Amino acid sequence: MAKKLLYGTMAAALVLSATACGGNNNDEKNTASSSAPASSADASGSAPASEAPKDKVTYSYFLGVANAPDVNTNETTIGRLLEEQTGVNFKIEHVVGDLKAKVGTMIASNDYPDVINPDAAIDMLVDAGAFIDLTDLIEKNPNIKRVYGPFLPQMKAADGKIYYLPITAQVGEYAPDPEINQGAFWIQRRVLKEAGYPKIKTFDEYMNLIEEFVSKHKDEDLTGFISLTHDWRFFAIANVPMHLDGYPNDGNVEIDMNTLEAKTYFTTDSTKRFLQKLNDFNAKGLFDKASFVDNYDQYLAKLSSKKVVGFFDYGWQSGNARNLLRDAARADQSQDDFVYFPMPLTWDGSKDQLQDPPGFVKNRGIGISVSAKDPERIMAFWDNLLNEENQVMKSWGIKGETYDVDANGRFFRTAEMIKMIDEPFNLKFGFRYFNFDWPQYGANSTLADGNAFAPGFQPEVFQLGLTEGDKTILNAYGVKTYSELFAKPDDRPWFPAWGIPKAQGSPEQIWETKHDEVIKKYYPKIVLAKPADFEKVWAEYTAEFGKLDTAGYEKWYTEQIKLAVEAAKVK
Amino acid sequence: MESNITTATSSVTSNKPTGLKLFFRKLVQQRMLVLMSVPFVIWLFLFKYMPLWGWTTAFQKYKPARSFSEQEWVGWDQFNFLFSDERFLRVLRNTLAMSGINLILGFVTAVILALLLNELRSVIFKRVVQTVTYMPHFLSWVVAAGIIQSTLSTDGIINVLLIKLGFIDKGNEILFLGIPKDFWGILGAGTVWKEIGWNTIVYLAAIATIDPSQYEAAEMDGAGRFRRMWHITLPGIRSVIIVLLILNIGNLMQSGFEAQYLLGNGMNIDYSENIDIFVLKYGLEQSNFSLAVAGGMFKSVVSIVLLVIANNVAKRFGGSRVF
Repeated sequence: MAKKLLYGTMAAALVLSATACGGNNNDEKNTASSSAPASSADASGSAPASEAPKDKVTYSYFLGVANAPDVNTNETTIGRLLEEQTGVNFKIEHVVGDLKAKVGTMIASNDYPDVINPDAAIDMLVDAGAFIDLTDLIEKNPNIKRVYGPFLPQMKAADGKIYYLPITAQVGEYAPDPEINQGAFWIQRRVLKEAGYPKIKTFDEYMNLIEEFVSKHKDEDLTGFISLTHDWRFFAIANVPMHLDGYPNDGNVEIDMNTLEAKTYFTTDSTKRFLQKLNDFNAKGLFDKASFVDNYDQYLAKLSSKKVVGFFDYGWQSGNARNLLRDAARADQSQDDFVYFPMPLTWDGSKDQLQDPPGFVKNRGIGISVSAKDPERIMAFWDNLLNEENQVMKSWGIKGETYDVDANGRFFRTAEMIKMIDEPFNLKFGFRYFNFDWPQYGANSTLADGNAFAPGFQPEVFQLGLTEGDKTILNAYGVKTYSELFAKPDDRPWFPAWGIPKAQGSPEQIWETKHDEVIKKYYPKIVLAKPADFEKVWAEYTAEFGKLDTAGYEKWYTEQIKLAVEAAKVK
Repeated sequence: MESNITTATSSVTSNKPTGLKLFFRKLVQQRMLVLMSVPFVIWLFLFKYMPLWGWTTAFQKYKPARSFSEQEWVGWDQFNFLFSDERFLRVLRNTLAMSGINLILGFVTAVILALLLNELRSVIFKRVVQTVTYMPHFLSWVVAAGIIQSTLSTDGIINVLLIKLGFIDKGNEILFLGIPKDFWGILGAGTVWKEIGWNTIVYLAAIATIDPSQYEAAEMDGAGRFRRMWHITLPGIRSVIIVLLILNIGNLMQSGFEAQYLLGNGMNIDYSENIDIFVLKYGLEQSNFSLAVAGGMFKSVVSIVLLVIANNVAKRFGGSRVF
């Protein structure tokens, strides 16, 4: 009896798994077919305002970043207005799970969404011939031509064709970000307050300040310094020596401004000195050794716990935790002590380059796939999106609702508006969806009327968002915005060097994979070693690193940098 | 159905045709059976044999979206890359060690738990234990790894417990996931926790088929509980144990992927990286699909060899076997 039961269950399991496979296919077909009639039914109902009435269509859009729930753009306010203008709706699907695996399957099946913005997997798609050439289409669309025109030489792939539009292109004057979105050495405000707002310029001063503070507050169970090391975010620790040397985030190389020579910095004295400092901190119990095993969520949780005195990270990467603390301080000024303050530091106190130069990221972008039926219409949609009114709409919103204009023509937001625009509102209105994933003006752009393109970069908006605590500390350092603390970025036409595309499976790419492996393995060992063993472990590491063809990598980069500089001169 | 089979046997004995003729006659007579198996044979062919065509990729420098005839053929290059890398030996060792540990730990604990559960008199307690032990099986590894990570973190329950019990001092918390050699053990223990209940199900079902009269007879002869377990229960499920063992040995090259990927980090990479992760890093992430296929092929071939060896060993010892 029991045996029969056993076989019965097995058989049932088999049948179930077989039908489950079939089921998926059906689902996909159903959704595909059901969306089509729905959109065409809508089309007959409304009369489009534009001069060429067209049927409403829905295009599929795959986005390689999981930054929001999937959506039909016409379900958002901005998307609906754009649909009224063009009749085009996009069904955005965000990546779930591993991006490269997902894109790999797309390529293998040779069946693509109409529009793809594959983030880091863009080389794979270009390589597979998944994108159509946009060169001719760009010529036909005046707004696209206006915005991307100056960058066309840089947008060309190795074969001279243009396969995708990079996401951002600088338009107009450079408007600096008042907040710190790039790298900074962060420190709790109370540390500075207690020390009487000292002017800190070097890394050693910074670490000493932390050490003193922790020793004065022994009973609080504080952590002096932590690092983010999880998975691909490892650069948050590996990049520090580069910044301390006074270079911006060019990735794995420091590039000499005069000779244009690219040099890696992983075995230099700078890296050694940095790791030795961490090693010293670890020996004194000031460094959180769990930094090397914690994942990103655990790291953010620690940052928002108020127990961490200092850390280095990029603004965009630690924003979630810092915003939490800032919101707490906004509600209760006594919490201002725990808000983090950004500091530009170098080894010798000379000029920092932590702020990104106005760059043109070439290895990210949005393209039209070979599966798209009507590329011209998609391009027309983008062209329409890129006209100035629509750029204002997607960035500032609707006049009277999400922004207002004063007598001088300056855009501003009232306190109520700022309060209203929270995350749920961003999703509903579409600010979130039209924030960064479409052809658009670069964040630092300026509109023709002199207003900043990004509301956050408009000084009027920034000032309105400051709390008492913010004003106190900014005054103490004699600046109006956080970015004023940092040096102005020098002009580097190749920036960012990490954005220079590398071919799949090329020696450069293999070098990067292997280099990742070596530093991820040895940095923890070096930092957590007994101080007496430091030299020994460092020697082991340099020996291991020496096996990589670093000279070849640097040579390749130097060539690329020189090419980029030449290309920039041509324009 | 049964009548078909009986007529088949009777006709065979009367006429005794040979060769092809016999084959076709049987085919016709058993057409119902054959017909019923057709969908499964098609399924097997479509999903298990057709993909083997893809193995050709391993000998190419495969570029997607190019037709078969346009691919560049490179012979054994991908395999050379794989085997000449010093890391490959390491990941091979890790793969075998981790699946070996999982196989033995998982199998021993499951059999013991099944035996213990079988001896329980209180049905309610038995049900509760069963449910509790196989609950973690339904967690995905992402969740399970999160639980393991926070349990083992410096402020996790294990470190807190060690401090409270006075084994370590505060400030000297152990970074469990940062000790390379401990990784196998952590993974083994984690897998046992996650899968033990699930693994017992088959053994419990097998135990239930043992004739109760054997136990009664043994009891009359004065055999205690452990004697009965040893002489009746274990021999009774021996064939199931052996079959499962052989099948699992065939899976020795599959040490899993998610657990190592999620729990692995730079510090324990020497012990946590297995073939799957290696192939992911140097194959899929670099769009080198050919290398990924070569890795998969290597795994399959080794698996088949292991399976055949295990089966033959089982045959030699006179036990049951798979084929």
